[in-house]
Amino acid sequence: MVKERKFKEIISQYCQVQPENITNSSRFREDLGFSSLDFMSFLGELEDEFDIELEEDKIVNIRTIEEALSLINALKEAG
Amino acid sequence: MIQKYPLTASQKLHYRWINEYKTQQVSGLSIVASLKAELDFKLLRRCINEELKRYSCMRVQFTKPDKNGEIKQYIPETDNIDITLKDLSDMTLAEADATMQQWAYQTFDGDDIPMCEVFLMKLPDDFNGFFVHMDHRLMDSCGIVVMINDIMSLYTHYKFGAPFPDDLADYEAVLVNDLKKAGNEKRFLKDKKFWDDMLDKWGEPLYSDIQGPSVLEKARKKHKNQNLRSVDIEREELFVAVKDYKLDAEPAKVLMDFCMNHQLSMTNLLLLGMRTFLSKVNNGQEDITIENFISRRSTRDEWTSGGSRTIMFPCRTVISGNTDFLTGAYEIQNMQNHIYMHSNYDPELIWNEVRKRYKTPSNTTYESCYLTYQPMPVKMENPFLKDIPMHAKWFANGAATKKMYLTVSHTEDGGMNFSYHYQTAELVEKDTEIFNYYLMRIIFRGVENPGLSLSEIIAMV
Repeated sequence: MVKERKFKEIISQYCQVQPENITNSSRFREDLGFSSLDFMSFLGELEDEFDIELEEDKIVNIRTIEEALSLINALKEAG
Repeated sequence: MIQKYPLTASQKLHYRWINEYKTQQVSGLSIVASLKAELDFKLLRRCINEELKRYSCMRVQFTKPDKNGEIKQYIPETDNIDITLKDLSDMTLAEADATMQQWAYQTFDGDDIPMCEVFLMKLPDDFNGFFVHMDHRLMDSCGIVVMINDIMSLYTHYKFGAPFPDDLADYEAVLVNDLKKAGNEKRFLKDKKFWDDMLDKWGEPLYSDIQGPSVLEKARKKHKNQNLRSVDIEREELFVAVKDYKLDAEPAKVLMDFCMNHQLSMTNLLLLGMRTFLSKVNNGQEDITIENFISRRSTRDEWTSGGSRTIMFPCRTVISGNTDFLTGAYEIQNMQNHIYMHSNYDPELIWNEVRKRYKTPSNTTYESCYLTYQPMPVKMENPFLKDIPMHAKWFANGAATKKMYLTVSHTEDGGMNFSYHYQTAELVEKDTEIFNYYLMRIIFRGVENPGLSLSEIIAMV
């Protein structure tokens, strides 16, 4: 399982929000102000950090922290 | 001992242009930032010197090329630099701008030398401030905006007791991280696969000129190759002219609202407008490539470390004329999203692969248009200065490596500015006027009725 705290620490580097203020229902774009470049760079970092392979056509539909966390955990378990 | 580092992919882009065009002028970057206010120049000089210590990318120097032509970068410790005061206050604003424009044409020639100079400026109409001229490998436009804001934050701290500005990220630490990412083999192979797959899918790109198909035809005759798909790059006469067109606040808001309502970025709307124009003037060509600059700044450290983080990638899309405007925009957005994910790649490797596969003649290109969209206005975000009129102006380096380079930015009045830099050896002002006229018509037709097909829009405009 990916540690939620670590995950939110990475997210907080991309936005002006502290990890403790990021909830699982936070939306990347609307709530955290991610641009498309931010979001895709972030996903690239997740791939490297957690050693996973994301399917690019699917990940663009991720909206919330919870969705991203679930996907990564599923990939970690499958891998 | 001072550590020396290789150049990043963004820096290599500029270094390649310097070598290809045989002048550092192509990598010049200049701006003046001033306020309509009395300034304490002694204090401003002190703040700029303090900035040199805080924002270490300003101190970056480059080694002599080795036997392979490779150079390295390093950050020397520095004493205060000599910052002279230039008094242009007796001139008209146009004369002062012309004088500063001449400074922007100057080159930094030599190895192991400072690549950044700063002048304190007394300008006409009681404007005062500073002029910065540097090599683009030290900083890009976002980096310059951060620097200007930080210098003025230091100034207002010492002058008016404003809070001391937050620390900026360490350029060297971010550089090390960037180089580590670039050296990640797994990541590299993923990036390479993405770019190679595009060639597998679509084959050799096809040039599309803003002046129509005659340019490609001319190149085909010159190279005696009727199947040639690229055209020659002008490398001798590099003089660049600049023409700006304004879009008022009200229509600019229409575009911004459209983007917001459809979760579309402005870059992608602009790319769609540009590619539709290219399709229009090239007999409905569907396979079109535009070079788009992105600034790889996402994390706070990347935003505040300075450095040159802009890099251009080919945005190639094959979109049928039957596609409706909104779907076309999403197709571009989709492509751009993929590009963002693979933007740690060195774009030179993309072109090496193209040349290898298709034997593209040297000194030819598949693109006539380049785009930079700058969401960030040059604005001093400082509450102590907010009511003071400001004058900021970027100066072209006078040497274009690209036939037509469009920079779109937002203006303080809520409007937008479309700034065309074009090689005068290839284009005249009328070409930019035609381009901008159709770009606006295409985009606004599409925004008014996003269900129209691209062919219908082309026929309407």
